[in-house]
Amino acid sequence: MDTKVSPDQVIDAQQVGRSVPRMEGAAKVTGRAEYIHNLRLPGVLHGKVFRSRIAHGRILSIDTSAARAVAGVHSVVTGEDIRRIIPEPYYGPAFHDQPILALDKVRYVGEPVAAVLAADPHVAEYAAGLITAEYEELPAVFNEVEAATSSVYVHDELKPAITFPDLKHLKGKRNTNVALDYKLRRGDVAAAFASAAHVFEHEFHTQHIMHTPFEPFVALAEPLDDSVTIHTSSQMPAYVRLEIARLLGWPENKVRARTAYLGGGFGAKVYVKIEPLVVALALLARRPVKMSLTMEEQFYVIGKHATTFRIKSAITADGRIAARKCEVFWNGGAYADIGPRVSQKSGFTSTGPYQIECAEIDSAEIYTNLPPAGAFRGFGIPQLVWAYESHTDIIARALKIDPLEFRRRNILHDGQEHPTGTVMRDAEFDEVLVRIAARMGWDQPFDRGTGTKRRGRGIAIGVKASIAPTTSFALVNVSADGSAVLFCNTIDMGQASNTANAQLVAEVLGIAAERVKVTQADTDVTPFDMGTLGSRSMFHMGHAVRLAAEHARTQLEALCAEGGITYSGEQSVAQGFRKKFGMQAGNIFGVGHYTSRYQAADPVTGMSKEVTPFWMIGGAGIELEVDTETGHVTILRMVNVVDAGRAINPRVVETQISGAALMQMGQTMTEEMIFTSAGELTNPSLAYYKIPGIHDIPASIENEAVEAETRNGPFGSKGVGESGTFGVSPAIANAIDDAVGVRLYSLPLTPESIYRAICAARGEPLED
Amino acid sequence: MNRGNDRLENLLIPFELLEPRTLPEALSMLADDDTAVRPMGGGTALMLMMKAAVFTPRRLVSLRALAPALGGIALDERGALCLGGMATLSSLEHSALVKTHASVITRAMPQLSNVRVRHVATVGGALAHADPHMDLPTILTALDARVQIAGPGGSRELFVDALITGYYETALAGNELITGVAIDAVPGRKAAYIKCTTRAADDWPALGVALSLVCSGGHIETARVVIGAATDRPTRVPAAEAALAGALIEGTTLAAATLDRVRDAVASQVVYTSDAQGSGAYKRQLARVHVVRAITAALQA
Repeated sequence: MDTKVSPDQVIDAQQVGRSVPRMEGAAKVTGRAEYIHNLRLPGVLHGKVFRSRIAHGRILSIDTSAARAVAGVHSVVTGEDIRRIIPEPYYGPAFHDQPILALDKVRYVGEPVAAVLAADPHVAEYAAGLITAEYEELPAVFNEVEAATSSVYVHDELKPAITFPDLKHLKGKRNTNVALDYKLRRGDVAAAFASAAHVFEHEFHTQHIMHTPFEPFVALAEPLDDSVTIHTSSQMPAYVRLEIARLLGWPENKVRARTAYLGGGFGAKVYVKIEPLVVALALLARRPVKMSLTMEEQFYVIGKHATTFRIKSAITADGRIAARKCEVFWNGGAYADIGPRVSQKSGFTSTGPYQIECAEIDSAEIYTNLPPAGAFRGFGIPQLVWAYESHTDIIARALKIDPLEFRRRNILHDGQEHPTGTVMRDAEFDEVLVRIAARMGWDQPFDRGTGTKRRGRGIAIGVKASIAPTTSFALVNVSADGSAVLFCNTIDMGQASNTANAQLVAEVLGIAAERVKVTQADTDVTPFDMGTLGSRSMFHMGHAVRLAAEHARTQLEALCAEGGITYSGEQSVAQGFRKKFGMQAGNIFGVGHYTSRYQAADPVTGMSKEVTPFWMIGGAGIELEVDTETGHVTILRMVNVVDAGRAINPRVVETQISGAALMQMGQTMTEEMIFTSAGELTNPSLAYYKIPGIHDIPASIENEAVEAETRNGPFGSKGVGESGTFGVSPAIANAIDDAVGVRLYSLPLTPESIYRAICAARGEPLED
Repeated sequence: MNRGNDRLENLLIPFELLEPRTLPEALSMLADDDTAVRPMGGGTALMLMMKAAVFTPRRLVSLRALAPALGGIALDERGALCLGGMATLSSLEHSALVKTHASVITRAMPQLSNVRVRHVATVGGALAHADPHMDLPTILTALDARVQIAGPGGSRELFVDALITGYYETALAGNELITGVAIDAVPGRKAAYIKCTTRAADDWPALGVALSLVCSGGHIETARVVIGAATDRPTRVPAAEAALAGALIEGTTLAAATLDRVRDAVASQVVYTSDAQGSGAYKRQLARVHVVRAITAALQA
């Protein structure tokens, strides 16, 4: 809250649509912002984990004696110890499949097997290194396509959680690694292919990725008399409370989950991650327990799905997509986490943002003996767009149709039906394409380079549905001086949600956004919210905040009217309170909540009239130069255009777009978790897993949110946290093809893979 | 759950950290026969190795307090550029003397590692560590630099080429320290270094190519061509050097036939290792390309 803005300042400017500076900016750049990582509590024990070194095996014995003998070790805990306080110690949002510490079996290299507690984290770490375990090694399966039909099973039986009704039918299913198989069946696909003028079929791959938030997973559990407080770097405090209460068999109100600012989340910190273990350790030890994972350990918690995507399109003589078949295999790793949601909620957009009458989608979440995969900025969409926009570009080039023209010919428009059966509303696909083309001068001659430096350009566009149905609650507390505090569980992890939500409150109350304070999430005081993920908060929480503020305003106007005062913001409110209570005293509470509409998919066709409350749309245009002697790519220009509805805070929207695009650029060019044939991760470190540095940033980046209005959104807005990721990977691959005439089907696009493709294309393949 | 000792006394002492004030004191703290005793300059590489549990020290001898004495950059009476063993990479980067007398180092520095590492990493550390992915040893090999070494029995001098003997291996005894590096003034010498990364720009190089050309009267008299990072140690390529010796300079390039011979020499005379940064075959191609680009860069320097 900016106290420099005076309460009697006349608010003539609209608060919505104004680039209010980030409320937490000064605290962050001066090192004063609160992070759980920095939290110190007296008497705290530090937990360090002993992890499995094999990918699949039955646990025969765990020897903790040497660890226990280390001076300074408080205790050593195994999975069996945890059963003493949590008889069924399995967690997970979609499947109750993940043990807090391994029980009976280990299923991936890096899985937590035992934990050491000590007052000194270095002692705990040293002691954890002395634990040994004996296993009966089992065959393991790593590749998602192989695992789909393998007779090596990661789990004996599927254990869906009750949370999602559409997973119920999987309960008790045995002898499968397919955790969820989403199917869409629309129209006569076979007939469309039979009568097609052209048929194209390709297979694309994406690699394992880690979110690499610079604040790794951290949680501190504090056992109290008959309750527990969890201080955690989480995107989902309400779910943390719910899941911990479920595991312990306690009422929700005995579990308090609170957060501070997050040093990045990107989907890594959704649902629960290390919280069940930290709580179990704290309850066993009857002491506060903190676990701060290292950057290296972080790679064994959660990542982004590697995928195989087989895509096939039937094209008519006039260049229209008559039918598309999509077969997507999602490598979910050893535990489902929220992966089945990725394979379904993103899977149903696998055909892309195009008018396609006949469509068939099989999108399957597959268990493998690798670290789990779950939510990651884009929730599966970047993997899909990579494939369908590479495929789309190949088709356009093969048919000698301009890639922009081919897309515009087939793109969905408002009022048209997406293959899922949902009619498009407030979805500016064509405008996004038009703006990318305009900024790039697509119709202008292009310098294609000379000699060993060849230039090319490419575009791509993608679409994402929001997560629905989900619910947000908000509470606005107006004090007797007219200042307001917003209580909400939306977590500000860098996306400036606190600033945007303050703007909504201010807009409704007619005060300056700088005068609104937003609390940190604390489930003892902040009301329920599903979570900060999937770009849902601006829309869902935005509505809840708007409604809460409107509720407060109605009461404030009544309060003023009672005292014969005309409502005009803070000063009038202060007068109203004084008049009613005889002094500066009292509160007005405004409450609001919002649940998005959703219609479950038809179990046979997979179709629904209402799959999402709003559509996210993102496109990219890339100009680049390829060094034909080395395969090195220099991105000369990156154009990112999205439909974010109406921007609540234009400056923040711009940085959300560029941040998302650059993150996706890193995943396109350099990032990859590399596993040995035994499933061991070879590069769990920022030294060897390379995210882009400042020297990798393109010389020119342009970001634009097109003129748009989401009519069912709060003040016309919608989410924008992920849209910038969608088009980047295929736009780069399409530009490489444009520059040097080679097509890449697997990420990352390393210089060597490009150089090898160039050599192969001229019939001189480089030796292995 | 098994309850252990909860008392805080008698904690592990994982290692000893010493900070000597003088060179003789530092030398006395080192051990010739104990690999768990190591000197530490900036510590940037050792910390990574310790975090990865590749190296578990018994004793670290921090040379930080020797920086005032051994961190200087100066010219000696014969005009050689002398870099103190404790000179930081960023002090090299910003030194006017280095820019005048070995501008190849000045040009290389901004791409080397990152600014935080450059502020603490030292010249002596970069050489003694002998990680083939370091850039500076390759550059100093091309400049034929002499390394001054102090030990219990006095001091000695080795060329960088003789100092680094293999993959993380040097001719240094465990109780010796690098006190400085001298780069002789060679009239007409032009040098270039190319750091080639295959992942992020601030990654270690997949390949480093350093060369120096002593030019006179429109032709190259002698040359040193060194391949780093893709090899176990900075590796000179005599056949390439021979191809360059005597070559006529044509603007900022050489005759096509000469360049072909150089390309073929670096391709055929060096063994390139395969790793996560690229296959050996690909690095060989990178070397073929970048050696020619380095020649052009040197002639333009």
